[in-house]
Amino acid sequence: MRVLVVEDEKKTASFVRKALQAEGFAVDVCHNGDDALAAVRTTPFDGIVLDIMLPGRDGLSVLHQLRDRKNTTPVLLLSARGEVNERVEGLNAGADDYLPKPFELAELVARVRALTRRSGENKSTVLRVADLALDTITHQAQRGGTAIELTAREYRLLEFLMRSPGRLCGRMMILEKVWDYDFDPGTNLVDVYIRRLREKIDASFEPKLLHTVRGTGYLLKDPP
Amino acid sequence: MTIRTRLTLWYAGILTGSLLVIGLGTYREIDERLRHEHRWEPEEHAIAETSEMVFQVGLPAVVLGLLGGWWLTRRALAPVAGLTEAIKKIHERNLRQPLPRTGNGDELDRLTEVFNGMLARLDDSFNRTREFTLHASHELKTPLTILCGETETALRDESLSVAARERAASLLDELRRLARIVDGLTLLAKADAGQVVLKLEPLPFNELVRDNFADAQILAEPQGVQVELAVCEEVSVRGDRHRLRQLLLNLADNAVKYNQPQGRVTMSLRRAGDMAEFTIANSGAGIPPEMLPRVFDRFFRGDAAHSQAVDGCGLGLSIVEWIVTAHHGSVKIESVPSKITTVTVRLPAGPDKTKAA
Repeated sequence: MRVLVVEDEKKTASFVRKALQAEGFAVDVCHNGDDALAAVRTTPFDGIVLDIMLPGRDGLSVLHQLRDRKNTTPVLLLSARGEVNERVEGLNAGADDYLPKPFELAELVARVRALTRRSGENKSTVLRVADLALDTITHQAQRGGTAIELTAREYRLLEFLMRSPGRLCGRMMILEKVWDYDFDPGTNLVDVYIRRLREKIDASFEPKLLHTVRGTGYLLKDPP
Repeated sequence: MTIRTRLTLWYAGILTGSLLVIGLGTYREIDERLRHEHRWEPEEHAIAETSEMVFQVGLPAVVLGLLGGWWLTRRALAPVAGLTEAIKKIHERNLRQPLPRTGNGDELDRLTEVFNGMLARLDDSFNRTREFTLHASHELKTPLTILCGETETALRDESLSVAARERAASLLDELRRLARIVDGLTLLAKADAGQVVLKLEPLPFNELVRDNFADAQILAEPQGVQVELAVCEEVSVRGDRHRLRQLLLNLADNAVKYNQPQGRVTMSLRRAGDMAEFTIANSGAGIPPEMLPRVFDRFFRGDAAHSQAVDGCGLGLSIVEWIVTAHHGSVKIESVPSKITTVTVRLPAGPDKTKAA
C-alpha cells in the first residue's frame, strides 16, 4: 500500500510518515499542492493524506483538480480550521474522510487503513474473531456457544470493532462511527462502554480479545 | 425626580414669583391712584382690588402657564424617552445597528450622532477581540498537532522505559485537554462571528433525549449515580441534530460530574405550550446563588469544580448557552446548595402531532 502525504508543516509530515511506515505503508511526502499533483500524475497511490492549508495551491483546489481528472484515489483531508462546516465542505468537494487538527496519530493511521481497505471490507453477515461471533442480521452475539446480551449501542460498538479485527480504533473514530458524534465530547463515554463490553465478552472467557492501547485507542484481536 | 417634573416645578416657581412682582406693582399703582382720588382708607381698597386682579387674571394666567410648561417640557423631552428605549435594547451583539436619528440637527440629534459614533467604535473593538480569539485558536492548532504527534510517537517507542512511556501518556492526556479547550474556543469564536451554519431540520427531540439518557446512565455508572428519565413526552423541534446532541450530552456530563457518589440525576422532557421543555436535575454540592449568574461565562469555574478537581474545559455551559440561543430557545439554571441543581432548556416545539391526530 502506497500513501501520499501532502503537508507543508515539516514536523507534522515527518511523524505522520513515520507512523504510517510503522504500519507497513510505503509513504511519499510532498510539501505543496503542485508537487502533489505532479506526484499523483506519475505514481498510482492507494490513498492520499491532504492538508487543506498549503502554500500556493491549497488542499481543496488539489482535491478539485484530482476529481476533475477522474482520479478516484481515496483522500483523507486534514484541517487546522477544524470546524463542523469544513467537514461538510471537504466531503462535498470529494474527500472520503476528514480529520481536524490536532488529531491523534492512532486516529489518522486507523482512518488511512479504513480508507485504503474500503473496497475489500468484510461483507459477511456473521463476523468472527476467535470464538466470538456476531450476527449482523439478528444482532445476536455469542462466545464459545454462550449467548451474550447486548444493548443497541454495545452491539454497534462491537460490530465496529469486529469489522476491522486487529486494527487500532481511535476514540474519535469510535465516537464518530458508533455514536455519530461530530465533536469531541470530552467525556469518558467510550472508555466506560468498552469496559462494559469487556465484561460481557471477555470477563468469563479466555483468551482476552479486547485490548486497550494506552492513550490511543482500542482493538479487538485474536491472540496468535 | 424626573427632569420634566423638576423643570415644571421651577417654572411654576418663576411664574409665581412673576405674579408676586406683578401683584406688588399693581398694588402700588392702585394705592397711589386711590390716595389721589379719595384719601381715605386707601390701603384696604388697594389690597382688595389688587387681590381681585391677581386672583381673577393672574392665577388663571399662572395655571395656563403651568400647563403650557408641562406640555413644552414633554415636547422637548419626548425624543429622550425614545432614545432611552433604543439604548435599553443595545447589547454586545447588535452594536452595528445605529440609533434612529431625527435628522433635524438639534441637540438631541447631535447627541444621537455622537452616541452612534461611540457604538461603531465599540463594535470595532468587540470584533477585534473576536477575531483575535479566532486567529489565536487557529494558530494554536499547528503546534498542538505537532506536540500530540510527537508525544504519541514517543508512546509507541518500545525502547523507552515503562516510566517514560507513562509520562508521555500523562502528557498526552493534558495535550488532549488543551486541544478540547482550543476546539471549544474556536467553536465559540466562530459562533460569535456568525460563521457557524446550523443544519436545521425537524427532529424528534424525545428520541434524542432517550439516546442521551442511555449515555448518561453509562457515564454515571462508575460513580454509582442513579439516572432517571421521569417524563419523556413526544415532542419535535426544528434544530441541528449534532448540536442538540452536544447540548444534551454536555448537560448530562455536568449533572454526573458535579454530583455526589450514589447521587441522583433526573431528566424530563415535556411539551409546555409551544415550547419543548427539557429539565435535568442533579444532587450534589450545587452552586451558591452569587455564582449562578456567571455559570454560563467562558472559563467560569465555581468552587465545586475546583474543590472536586473535576476534569473539564470550562466552556461546556457556554457552548450549551450558544446552542440554545442559536435555536431561539432559553436556558436557565437554579440551585439549592448541597441539595439540587436544575437546568431547564426551552426550545420552540414543532406542531403537536398528538393533538392533530
